[in-house]
Amino acid sequence: MELHNAIELHNVLGFPILSLSIFLPLAGAIFIWLFIKNANAVRWSTLLISVATFIVTLPLATQFDTTTAHMQFEEFHPWIEAFNINYQLGVDGISMPFIILTSLLTIICVISAWECIQSRVKEYMIAFLVLETTLIGVFSALDSILFYFFWEAMLIPMYLIIGIWGGKNRVYATLKFFLYTLAGSVLMLIALLAMYFKSGGTFSILALMDYPFDFEWQIWIWIAFFVAFAVKVPMWPVHTWLPDAHTEAPTAGSVILAGILLKMGAYGFLRFSLPITPDASQYFVPFMVVLSLVAIVYISLVAMMQTDMKRLIAYSSIAHMGFVTLGTFMFTQAAVEGAIINMISHGFVAAALFLCVGVMYDRLHTREIADYGGVVNVMPVFAAVMMVFAMANVALPGASSFVGEIMVLIGTFEADPSQMDISAKWIAIAATLSVVLSACYTLWMYKRVIMGDITKDSVKTMKDMSVREFSYFVPLIVLVLWMGFYPLPVLDVMHESVSHLIEQATTSKLDAAAALAGAAQEMAHH
Amino acid sequence: MANVTFPFPFPSNLELMLPEIIIAVMAMAILLFDLFIPKEKKVISAWLAMATCAAAAVATLNVTSPEAMTTFYGFFVLDPFASFAKLLMLAATVFGIVLSLDYMKDEANTGEYYCLMLFALLGMMLMVSATNFITMYLGLELMALSIYVLVGYQRDVLRSSEAALKYFILGSLSSGMLLYGITFLYGVTGSFDFGQIGTALTTSDGSARTATLVGMIFVLAGMAFKVSVAPFHMWTPDAYEGAPTPVTAFMSVAPKVAGFVILMRVLVDAMPALQHEYTLMFTGMAVLTLAVGNIAAIAQRNIKRMLAYSTVGHVGFVLLGLIAATNDGYAGVLIYMTIYLFMTMGAFAIIILMRRDGIQGELLDDFAGMSKARPGYALAMGLMMFSLAGIPFLGGFWAKFAVIAAVIDAGHLTLGLIAILFSAVGVFYYIRVVKYIYFDEERVAFNFSDNVLMKATVALTSIVIVAIGVYPNPVMEFCRAALVGLI
Repeated sequence: MELHNAIELHNVLGFPILSLSIFLPLAGAIFIWLFIKNANAVRWSTLLISVATFIVTLPLATQFDTTTAHMQFEEFHPWIEAFNINYQLGVDGISMPFIILTSLLTIICVISAWECIQSRVKEYMIAFLVLETTLIGVFSALDSILFYFFWEAMLIPMYLIIGIWGGKNRVYATLKFFLYTLAGSVLMLIALLAMYFKSGGTFSILALMDYPFDFEWQIWIWIAFFVAFAVKVPMWPVHTWLPDAHTEAPTAGSVILAGILLKMGAYGFLRFSLPITPDASQYFVPFMVVLSLVAIVYISLVAMMQTDMKRLIAYSSIAHMGFVTLGTFMFTQAAVEGAIINMISHGFVAAALFLCVGVMYDRLHTREIADYGGVVNVMPVFAAVMMVFAMANVALPGASSFVGEIMVLIGTFEADPSQMDISAKWIAIAATLSVVLSACYTLWMYKRVIMGDITKDSVKTMKDMSVREFSYFVPLIVLVLWMGFYPLPVLDVMHESVSHLIEQATTSKLDAAAALAGAAQEMAHH
Repeated sequence: MANVTFPFPFPSNLELMLPEIIIAVMAMAILLFDLFIPKEKKVISAWLAMATCAAAAVATLNVTSPEAMTTFYGFFVLDPFASFAKLLMLAATVFGIVLSLDYMKDEANTGEYYCLMLFALLGMMLMVSATNFITMYLGLELMALSIYVLVGYQRDVLRSSEAALKYFILGSLSSGMLLYGITFLYGVTGSFDFGQIGTALTTSDGSARTATLVGMIFVLAGMAFKVSVAPFHMWTPDAYEGAPTPVTAFMSVAPKVAGFVILMRVLVDAMPALQHEYTLMFTGMAVLTLAVGNIAAIAQRNIKRMLAYSTVGHVGFVLLGLIAATNDGYAGVLIYMTIYLFMTMGAFAIIILMRRDGIQGELLDDFAGMSKARPGYALAMGLMMFSLAGIPFLGGFWAKFAVIAAVIDAGHLTLGLIAILFSAVGVFYYIRVVKYIYFDEERVAFNFSDNVLMKATVALTSIVIVAIGVYPNPVMEFCRAALVGLI
């Protein structure tokens, strides 16, 4: 068994660009902590750092080689020799878009917090920069312990962001968020350690993808991973932390939570579960399909009944993530690519919807749907902007989410029905319900909040968006429409990686595992 | 030339005991010297005690050689393993003294406070160099007696005296159990020497199995008491809460290091034949310890009591390293103790520094709003709590990682799983402290004590915890290298 130790590093730039992307925000945070006192200076320097980080991550996209599924921009340094843990970084077509998404959304978060965060500005900005470091780290780590390191470290800034700047029930929400996600993640650590010893001493994700685990091992590892990732996604029935966290978090916290954090769970399925435990993943397809469909249908109904706008969007996020997990476990090119597109698109749309709620909340300090009505009369520009994202949330053709959902549905129709007890067709039909249901809850909310006549005096005082507020919607509108009309560049980036992933996920490891066990027995015999 | 004859030859290579000799001589000298120091300058005793520790540390580094050397007719061994433990305990003592400077300004105007610390240290240093039960017991009792007095040092505080008395009575009981067990092992094997006991048990025909097991159980139970392993942890919360806070800091680290190090020696040298039996015993105790430590801590309102239960929880983790009984496991114990030293000292330094209206706060509530008043201390306390909880980029994560990896490698997957689940439970009470510090509003004004050395302690421990968290490789390698002599 040859261990992949990345002796030959694929890095076209010959420059540690991933490390720079990871540590630039952290260095900026330390700089701000040490040297900057004035709140306005803190805001500007954070903006500068986040823009600089975004620019640094751009070459990942422009220099990306779309013809290979191999990891790119690789870096490798020994980290902890006693356990063969390495500082191993690299991105492929699956992880690269998320790095760009992270660095983009961080800029938007910084701008959105410009005025509404007035207390402890410095700590707030530092927390966001540290969070950015951990998020980029998660998506570029190729060593599983390094992945876990960033994955868990992310909890610290997020815990503080919700707990310090959140709403009135923030302490409950943030404790719940922390404990839920931590309890899920620790099982992943056990699985990583178990795989380390089973595979003869490697934590490298790429090496683990190649190691033939037998069926029983795969099942247990898969379950441990499932608990960690399902909490993060979140999947029904371990989703209950999300509505609380979303509702109580400050606007930018919700944006990052919906935009990036939820994607970490689905990314985990793509990076760990599918390629490392392919047979177990096949085995659990019916289970995942049922959970995904429950998320799509039941959670959509729950969303419809919400009176709090943020809670509604939070439930809508869970429903959309149900689409992602469904697509992930269909093992067809279209479905998996659709799932990833959906993840990226949801990063834009959910983030934008939370920003919309934030804009209204900054004016009236309430998130209740009933407290609004007729906002279009006083905020026409805002109403138009929110319309775009409401339509995108419904997956109207022309929006990025349409591309994702239609691909998942097509991929589901194509899926090999022999793996499942019921025909894939019926799964796709059930999933299509989501399109109807999401229209119900999104448009109904839009109608009640934006349309109609003004019935509340407080609404009359609302002023339309400022240039600053408008500025962070512009890139999101452009991206949603661009990906809706011309998704090809994004699909190109992920195409090779996804087909490699599907090859891994549909190739059974059992023969190799049996051969390995046989060889070991042979050895013992002699 | 007069023919002087000793009944025994004068022991050779006595210089191996140089660190202990320095401490013994200086402890007594400080005690005497203290009589002549005017009352307002008693801090000189503290400085002398710190200088003694520094000298002993230098001596330890100088006399240690790469392989094990014995002196005093084989009653005392010096190997990198013992020296590593001694350096840790010296560091803990220096931290303990620094933390006392301010806290004990009124109480410790007598030099015997610092002398007692040095005597406790001396006991522990003898303990970790023991090759047999007699040396071990002497060291252990010297340590225990000194610490009983330190716990009850605030004579006019009821809580302190009560704690000392409880600790003393239960401690004596455990010493009795230990001695009782030792007699059984002596009866079976005819020796006090770890190595000889080990050989005798390995080659025994199994005829005295019951006596051997009784001996093992009593010895291990007696030692378990000293390191607060459940169900022998009962004294811990009371003693921790009642003791002066610097003593709490001192006793939550140094005696644990000494206890675990000598426990490793006893297990490896004297009880290899009983590995199956003691693994069974420790597995049960580890699960119980993890449960008690992590669950009972949730109910605490006093931070010293909370940290007492937290110590119990950490001890449960350290036990995993002993259960693994591999190089990785023993190295894991040392890694854990090293990181634990810095986390605990940092946390206690902040607790001691914190004052509200001039009154030392001990309740969790007292931390409310600290982040606004003193962001620096708040950050440090936050780091310590996240580190104790085992969240990455802080040292505590790697401590847990090392022992859990070792225990899983040794085949105890379920135990590793139980441990990590309890650690997830334990996270709650650590992040609750962060909640008070960062999320709650300040109610009473803070006025922190501004002792420069203690500030330096906070800064140093925070930096070390982050540095180990980001790059644990040197500590891990060092602890592995320090196993020479044990294995």
